Amino acid sequence: MQALRNYQLLVTWQALRKKNYLPLMMAVQTLFSLGIVLGYPLLFPTLDRTSVYLIATGAPAISMVSVGLVALPQTVGEQKTEGSLAYMRSLPVARLSYLVADLTVWLMIVIPGVILGVFVGAWRFGLDLQVSPLFVPAVLMVALTATCVGYAIASLLPYMLTVIITQAIVVFVFMFSPLTFLPDKLPGWLEAIHRILPIQAMGEVTRGTLAPNEFGLPMGAFVTLAIWCALGFGATYAAMTRRG
Amino acid sequence: MLLEIEKLTKVYRSSWRAREAGTRANDGISLAIGEGEVFGLLGHNGAGKTTLVNQVVGLLKPTFGSIRIDGKDMVADPGLARRLCSFQAQAQVPIDGLTPQQAIDLIGQLRGAPRAEVERRRERLVDALELGEWQDVDAARLSGGVKRLVAFAMAAVTPGRVVMLDEPTNDVDPVRRRLLWRQVRTLADHGAAVLLVTHNVIEAERSVDRLAILDEGRVIAEGTPAELKAGLGAALRLELVLDPDVDEPPASPFGLSAVPVGNRLMVGIPTDGAGQAVAWAESLKAAGLVEEFTLGPATLEDVYVALVGDTGGRPAHVEEEFDASAA
Repeated sequence: MQALRNYQLLVTWQALRKKNYLPLMMAVQTLFSLGIVLGYPLLFPTLDRTSVYLIATGAPAISMVSVGLVALPQTVGEQKTEGSLAYMRSLPVARLSYLVADLTVWLMIVIPGVILGVFVGAWRFGLDLQVSPLFVPAVLMVALTATCVGYAIASLLPYMLTVIITQAIVVFVFMFSPLTFLPDKLPGWLEAIHRILPIQAMGEVTRGTLAPNEFGLPMGAFVTLAIWCALGFGATYAAMTRRG
Repeated sequence: MLLEIEKLTKVYRSSWRAREAGTRANDGISLAIGEGEVFGLLGHNGAGKTTLVNQVVGLLKPTFGSIRIDGKDMVADPGLARRLCSFQAQAQVPIDGLTPQQAIDLIGQLRGAPRAEVERRRERLVDALELGEWQDVDAARLSGGVKRLVAFAMAAVTPGRVVMLDEPTNDVDPVRRRLLWRQVRTLADHGAAVLLVTHNVIEAERSVDRLAILDEGRVIAEGTPAELKAGLGAALRLELVLDPDVDEPPASPFGLSAVPVGNRLMVGIPTDGAGQAVAWAESLKAAGLVEEFTLGPATLEDVYVALVGDTGGRPAHVEEEFDASAA
């Protein structure tokens, strides 16, 4: 009971801590989704059916990845620098409660952009998406994996390195990750790298549950995500419980 | 004793290779603090004070030594240490986005007290520290001093058996400092052992029951303020403000401590030496070596300066002169 109460108190604490810039953060990451859905057709006026579906379903995935792997590590890195994490660690609260509470707040930041992105994509391209019931757990899985991996980056690396790496991630995710295109467009070596990294799996799970009629749903992608989620969570938890 | 620290040693390794010697932030520190006691930990920046409290609260793991609260091993059970200790860190508490009221209430509840009780205690603390006008203002808009008082209230609202306060009065105005010291005493009166980390010697003298002076990771003196002052061997202190052109401070004829602090010289004077001291100071002033002087009772600051000097690191010439065993 105390753990549940602490979880509620910590969610309140973290949400209030972020409240000054939370609306802005939600707006920016929603713009990621909308920017892709509305911007790609300007770059490529003639898009085939598959590309249209890839863009509409890739946008929410990019939105989740950009929050989890970019905004989150930068914010958590900053909290680490200002002593916020050390302060929370000095409280008689299970590390797990703190971590789960913070992840909950980050999921709250991610979800509105994902939903809006899906609706705007379907509207813009006039798509009739046959959304699978697996979409909800899939989105939670993708968002959780992105946030856990992002948390691990911030926990393990010094702040400045986190900032630099997350900026590199932005370019990598937007330009060289198979989220709005299929992996066979990539050179062989990059395709091989993406078979190990979680980003491709995030795209596959999102589009496979948003448009199951158009794309398959490879179960291997769930396994990849589960492994990365566990790795990210484990590394973060270990970093948080370690005494220097 | 409620909090017992024995031979506590913390070595920060400068390299992954364990064989290389690291920095000894704490070097065999032993202290004991009882219920209801306010214990001061004094020392320059880098003396090892913050490292010590971070080990007690379980943020750092000692390289060697033991920490016990109520006989229980805190090194083995850092979770219990966090329940038994409440802590105000040296760094400014990160509460931007929250109001003081929200921050104090949430932390009080996270420390395990029921909401109604936390609210009652928070109201009392806000009144006692005169924080009422700011309690509903976003902390991002508060001054450093007010944030510091809020951080104190967060540590005090559901206090642990041990309350550790790391530089609680930094940035706080003189009037509210008094209010804060009163609350520190109230915590002790209610049975907590208060460990107060500070480099503000003058305030410590008025506020602590006992204290230890830390230098380069070691306890170099321990006792009540009166005991430590007695150890100085000088009941009076002559403070000479030296002429800026003087290169070499004048030698004291009293054979007690004479420590330069910036452009001042603090000279220990025996009880019966007041007249001689004034005559000596007048002659230095007449010779143009001294601009002005003050004679007063020796303070804890004199003990501190005699022990650790102006900038930290023990000055060898005064170490011999200080006889703590005489206390």
